[in-house]
Amino acid sequence: MTKRWGSTLLLWFVCLVFAMPLIVMVSGSLKTPEQLARDPYSVVPESPAWSNYVQAIGSMPFWRYLSNTLILCGGCVIGTTVSCAMVAFGLARVPWAGRKLLFALVTVTMLLPWHITMIPRFVLISHLGLYNSFWAIIAPTFLGDAFFIFLLRQFFLTIPQSYLDAGRIDGLSHWGLFWHLVVPMSRPALATVALFQFIQTWNDFSGPLLYLNDPQKFPLAYGLERFVSSYGDQTHLLLAAAALFTLPVIMIFFAAQRAFVEGIATK
Amino acid sequence: MKDELELELPLGLKTRDQVISIRETIPGGAISSKAIHDPASHTNVQATTLPNPIENSSLKSSGSDHRSDTVAGWLFCSPWIVGFLLLFAWPFVASLYWSFCRFDLVNPPQWVGLANYYRIGAEVGTGKGYGLALWNTLYYSLLSVPLSVVMGVGLAVLLSAKVPGQKFYRTIVFLPSVIPVVAASVLWLWLLDPESGMINYALSWVGIPAQNWLVQARSVAEPETMSVIGTGKLLGSKDAIVLMSLWSVGNFVVIYLAAISNIPASLHEAAQLDGAGVMRRLIHVTIPMLSPVIFFNLVMGLIRSVQTFASIYVLSEGTGEPGGSLSLISIHLFLSAFADLQMGYASAMAWILFVILLVVTALLFRTSRHWVHYRVAG
Repeated sequence: MTKRWGSTLLLWFVCLVFAMPLIVMVSGSLKTPEQLARDPYSVVPESPAWSNYVQAIGSMPFWRYLSNTLILCGGCVIGTTVSCAMVAFGLARVPWAGRKLLFALVTVTMLLPWHITMIPRFVLISHLGLYNSFWAIIAPTFLGDAFFIFLLRQFFLTIPQSYLDAGRIDGLSHWGLFWHLVVPMSRPALATVALFQFIQTWNDFSGPLLYLNDPQKFPLAYGLERFVSSYGDQTHLLLAAAALFTLPVIMIFFAAQRAFVEGIATK
Repeated sequence: MKDELELELPLGLKTRDQVISIRETIPGGAISSKAIHDPASHTNVQATTLPNPIENSSLKSSGSDHRSDTVAGWLFCSPWIVGFLLLFAWPFVASLYWSFCRFDLVNPPQWVGLANYYRIGAEVGTGKGYGLALWNTLYYSLLSVPLSVVMGVGLAVLLSAKVPGQKFYRTIVFLPSVIPVVAASVLWLWLLDPESGMINYALSWVGIPAQNWLVQARSVAEPETMSVIGTGKLLGSKDAIVLMSLWSVGNFVVIYLAAISNIPASLHEAAQLDGAGVMRRLIHVTIPMLSPVIFFNLVMGLIRSVQTFASIYVLSEGTGEPGGSLSLISIHLFLSAFADLQMGYASAMAWILFVILLVVTALLFRTSRHWVHYRVAG
């Protein structure tokens, strides 16, 4: 019994350490500059200063940044889901000679540091006239992503061969098998990939840093970093902006946990 | 050949564990085991009407089928084949070629032989430029990767204890890993403030003097620290980014948790019957059984730590300052390429880093024979 109390106590301590930065971010974002200077780390703000959020939104082209981010996220989610599902199907469920080699190449590219490919990719994107365009970030996702291909391939492999054989006997082509059989059966896995890609693009900082230089095209992640240099001393606004940027990701994280499980349970 | 075989195992572990971690532990909670093992629960195809499962081979016996398979295979994989050629194969060759050139993006690359490599060699000698960046990267990786393994395993063991609210605890520990890097960095910029930061405030509770964190170039495990040990200002900028990286250790914890849940209970029971206590079971059962995953996370953690960019960029406001102490290779390379337009020098840097990574990974694989225990299949 004492052992259990010991580990529970330890668990609470650990959780406090991990959660504290987030708690003080939210509470700090709701404090007036005066309170923040006087007592930065009390958990409950004296009177929630929601105006910090209004002010943070007002001091940058927030809606412009947000719509840029959403365009990028939408494009990348479509690109990744379509391309990775196709490639994963080709690697997992089409019996052809090159697939083993190709799969090995997929895994190897996951281990390559970006340092080597960054400069040539930049040159390529510039030569294609995509510099300073959303396509610089979206287009590559239509060529697949090693990790998501890996994930989907593993999932596709769990579909029993007898289903595909039945489909073939019913006259389905490879495309038919893919579209009418494998894709409908893999909705949870595809949703996972779409979700991961959404969060990845939402958070992406180095892509926009490299490829976008028109402030009209900045997404939120990059806008937030610029915000630091111009409002670095206004901690209450910085925290509000950071919290605002984080909120959707946390909401998706919590919503997805349940939605996904329920989505499967109701099938 | 043997190396290749071993290479497959940890890689295989990745996906399996990632998938397991997605469906069994917290993030996403995405794929239920039902969906994997019982696809009949959501499909219209009546597989049961087939009298016997038809042999796989019977369907691809004729030549035309074989050809159509090959065509379909190429077509389905074509996005990635194009992607591989454009985004990996060509860049690989191009950056190797440019590493022997002077190249400023505007004018065509101009062959300069080994000049970039000589320059890097000289910088390693003087501890400036690439030499400094190499040291900074080494410092960061050598500290953050082992600490993330120790913390990751420790937390996973703690979080696998069957106590009420287990799911809640796991969620809290994982949560920092989903915070966008830029937001987390903005937050830590504030937490690490030497005067009003919460970290120093928390340290003062346990009697540790305030640290300078991001404004101090000298970090605790650097030789110069010995001479100023009396001042108490030991922790510097690189220690700060190590600390911040440990905040998102949840990524690794999830993988360890999945692996722990795969350890057969019989092993623990047997050890318990032999009179082994909690600690002995941890050391003689849990950790050896986790060793393939620990090894995998060591390799991935190393590769990942070397690639850390966005957080350090934000924390040093895009400069690698103070005193070049946050000029890790990724930052130094980015600034050399896109601020100084020295693409040749930057490409040479990238290749040297790549070779170092290859060697270190190969060495890790070498040593793994002595401490990684792979279960015999079946």
